Amino acid sequence: MNKQQQKFALYLDEQITACRKRGEQLAADNRMDERNFEKIRENVYEIFKTILSAAERACEGDKTAERQFFLQRTEQIPMNWLASHEKAGQHGDVKKMHIERIKLDTVREIKDMYMQIWEETT
Amino acid sequence: MTEAEAISLFKCLADKSRLQILKSLAIEDMYVERLAERLDLTASTVSFHLKKLSEAGAVTAYKNQYYMVYSLNREIFQTSILEILQQESDEAQKQAQRDADYRQRVIDAFFEYGKLKSIPAQRKKERIILEVIAEAFDFDRTYSEREVNLIIADFHDDFCTIRRDMISEGLLDRNGMEYWRIKN
Repeated sequence: MNKQQQKFALYLDEQITACRKRGEQLAADNRMDERNFEKIRENVYEIFKTILSAAERACEGDKTAERQFFLQRTEQIPMNWLASHEKAGQHGDVKKMHIERIKLDTVREIKDMYMQIWEETT
Repeated sequence: MTEAEAISLFKCLADKSRLQILKSLAIEDMYVERLAERLDLTASTVSFHLKKLSEAGAVTAYKNQYYMVYSLNREIFQTSILEILQQESDEAQKQAQRDADYRQRVIDAFFEYGKLKSIPAQRKKERIILEVIAEAFDFDRTYSEREVNLIIADFHDDFCTIRRDMISEGLLDRNGMEYWRIKN
């Protein structure tokens, strides 16, 4: 794993831990829906942690290819979520919209952080 | 309020954030951004909770210029929990059917061609067979002990036990040598 990947993997792990901690606090505070929102965020971080490993395996040390592989997934994966968000909006389904918005916001944050780490370390 | 509506409301209330929203709305009507600021939640999260509260009938919304303003549905919170508990359950009919089925199984097991095969040991079952025997007695008339014994003897030879048990179960009453059927 190269330097960027290590730093980014650490960031994802920190976010996962933070989500779990917030989730536990929310559950203890009887805010179960908000606990579930943290779980959703955590799942998104987990997905991109898996993608980071997949990029490493697929590109065999080619840093540029890994970057392309990863960024491509940050565009592809949320496409369904975006479609689902738009559909929910058309039907006034505020609950669904909120859940899809959480996923989309998390992906955007992941992508921004990936770019930032990439730029900082090159 | 139906049972389903009560469950939906209780589930909805079992969340601190939603309870805080309702507490705020109990003070005055508010729009999403105001609630979000007050409760330190995102507007999107508040909207999520308001949608749930709205579906459960706990809040209503109305438009005021550019904003949707939410208000507490005070009527629903004036319903007492006891009133909800006293509402006939959707399950009541099914429960009544299960009770009727059980009753029929006991009758089928202990009666054969109108005769009682044996006196059930279980009080619940005995109560059922005593109720069946009680149907042989008319309301609004009195019976001598001999008449009572003859009627019961049509069902079972141990008319003394059955007669005593019918009295202790509150199906028959007596005054000296006169017996009558009690309306339950």
